[in-house]
Amino acid sequence: MLIKSSQITPEKVFNRRRRMIALGLGVLALPVVDKGYALLLQKQDQAQQPFPPLASMPELVPEVLQPTSLKTITSYNNYYEFGYGKADPSEADKSLITSPWTIDIGGVGADKPGLYDIAQIKGEHAIENHIYRFRCVEAWSMVIPWNGIKLADIIRAAQPNSKAKFVRFTTLNDAQQMPNAGWPGGAYIEGLTIAEAMNPLALMATGIYDKTLEQQNGAPIRLVVPWKYGFKSIKSIVKIELVEHMPQNTWWRQNDREYGFYANVNPRFNHPRWSQATERVIGKLGRKPTLLFNGYADQVAHMYPDPDNRLYFY
Amino acid sequence: MMLTLPLSKRKHLLNIALCLALMWGIYDAIMGPDLVSDLRSFTGRYGAYLLLTSLLFTPLSQRWLWLKRHLSLRRNIGVWGFVYAFVHVIIWIAMEFAFDWRLMADEIAGNLFILLGILAFVLLTPLAITSNRWGLKRLGYRPWQSLHSLTYIAIPAVIAHFFMAQKSDVLEPLLLGAVLVVVLLWRYRHAD
Repeated sequence: MLIKSSQITPEKVFNRRRRMIALGLGVLALPVVDKGYALLLQKQDQAQQPFPPLASMPELVPEVLQPTSLKTITSYNNYYEFGYGKADPSEADKSLITSPWTIDIGGVGADKPGLYDIAQIKGEHAIENHIYRFRCVEAWSMVIPWNGIKLADIIRAAQPNSKAKFVRFTTLNDAQQMPNAGWPGGAYIEGLTIAEAMNPLALMATGIYDKTLEQQNGAPIRLVVPWKYGFKSIKSIVKIELVEHMPQNTWWRQNDREYGFYANVNPRFNHPRWSQATERVIGKLGRKPTLLFNGYADQVAHMYPDPDNRLYFY
Repeated sequence: MMLTLPLSKRKHLLNIALCLALMWGIYDAIMGPDLVSDLRSFTGRYGAYLLLTSLLFTPLSQRWLWLKRHLSLRRNIGVWGFVYAFVHVIIWIAMEFAFDWRLMADEIAGNLFILLGILAFVLLTPLAITSNRWGLKRLGYRPWQSLHSLTYIAIPAVIAHFFMAQKSDVLEPLLLGAVLVVVLLWRYRHAD
């Protein structure tokens, strides 16, 4: 076959192309290099560096909380057991059987363990209304009018003893009822210290806007800890254990570089891949500053004696 | 029926389809609960797909001759990839940060994830501007070719950016990355 000389790529172009391709492969490897480098760095400075002083935090401005619309709250959800997309949980078949529903409350720290029926729990305690800010670790936020029971009331019923130092929560894990139940390699786990669990802000929600909780929001009962990133507020709880040792929560196990046990909201401590200084309010344009402990510092800061300890904030 | 259409008509059809797809994405985001993130991920994801597709033309056309006849569609797909990326960037500046340049600077500083996105966009811009007869004439064929080999850096940056954007579900960018590695290695061997 005859090849015209104009069709032959000159050596210069050929070599430049090769250089570019090699560079491109390098660029593609950057996230891996970055991750490796960060792992190395983390090993080197186990001694935690303090934050910049908290005195320079913006003042907490009193604000009237404007609840996000019910439609948004019920159609924009992270509930990976029903799919990874934000719309997946609300669009999934309503396959979760929420009645009857029992919570297995136990662990070494409970003197009165037992199976508690959700209808019974709801009947025994007054349903309270709490309008809370909800701040996701992904840097978006909503304001949600919850209905529910104080977590402290439920824990007290199980009569905690001196061995109850932490509380371990478990989400239902049933492939029959949840299309993506296998994602975390087991049930979704969350945990609190006993002090956090007894804090009056910690709520076991059973409704939103006076309506029964929907599947995508964690029906029939879920935790709400508004001073922590949203992933701490575990959904569809089937088990609560009062335990002696710090439980490893799912996101900590998934990625211990980015997620830990406490996960308190702190605008000064950035996620390894994005800033936590501001948040996108769902349904509005632009961003607003994120508040320390999501605006609940007055009620919860006393539980974290060393505000410079970064363990508290991821 | 499709097969009887002349190439220029097919090109128009492709342009219309990709334009409609973008408009559908915008409509869907407006109807959804979170306009900003829906639009951002729609344009980001499919922009990445289009750009990667444009890179596949040369290696695949060696195998399938019919594709060789459609080689000129590559430019349309690449330019549309850029249009999606352009919308992606505009959303970030105008809707995500509402033109708050200080906040944006804070977000960008030392953030490899966003820096990769910016790198890709900066590299793709001159390519999109010169992806037409005027650009080719103005530059001359060889310099044009040299300039456009920047895609071999820009598209890896796009895929790396896509990978870093995910919280846990990295399967999709990993698959795109695997395809890209194969294409780049092939292209390295056949750099002519």
